[in-house]
Amino acid sequence: MRFILVDEILELEPGRRIKALKAVSRDEDYFQDHFPGFPVVPGVLLTEMMAQAAGKCLEAEDHQRGRPMLAKISEASFRDWMRPGETATIHAEVKNSRQAFATVNCRIEVEERKLCSAELFFTFIPHDKFAPGYRDEVLERFLKKTATGGTGSGA
Amino acid sequence: MVNQEQALDWLAKVFQEPREKITPETPREAIGSWDSLGVLMLMAELDEQFKIILTDQEMQAMKKVGDVLTLLRERGQLS
Repeated sequence: MRFILVDEILELEPGRRIKALKAVSRDEDYFQDHFPGFPVVPGVLLTEMMAQAAGKCLEAEDHQRGRPMLAKISEASFRDWMRPGETATIHAEVKNSRQAFATVNCRIEVEERKLCSAELFFTFIPHDKFAPGYRDEVLERFLKKTATGGTGSGA
Repeated sequence: MVNQEQALDWLAKVFQEPREKITPETPREAIGSWDSLGVLMLMAELDEQFKIILTDQEMQAMKKVGDVLTLLRERGQLS
């Protein structure tokens, strides 16, 4: 099982904000258990979607300080359900970013519905802790697209 | 600007510790959440609440709650 919870970056201002998408198929395994007859995306996965999007925004700003890692969910609230087959629009805005940490305000919407929001706290792990050559393929795809003149920064 | 009681309330919230456990004499090692992540959380809260930006060395030099109060006082944030 892969754990990539951002499909595509739509807009990115490195270190400031990001807008991204994640589509959830109708046949995800976890819908069998969460819950029978009432399938909804677990809150932990919604939180991870926000964390991954926010992490890409931070990493795009300053690659040298390391890879952003979720260290604390300062607050989170879940107002509505995400159903099978829906596509989440993930927004993240960096509230505070320093060399050693960052806080990011995030939210997820499906069309006009506001599903959830969270304030996430990140620390940074040196790149040499990870496998050599490990790259963020979703972020790299977006940066490559914008570098070749595709739609991009959205700034 | 805050007074000492308000500052202690704030520190208890930052470290998620019972308020009665937080006094000026409380040493860092008595606060379980004042670990490496706690240091970063405190740095972030000082920045956000009081616009105080510290280096890692300055943060590591703090050995007890009273050191944080002294810092706030020196920076004009504690009455």
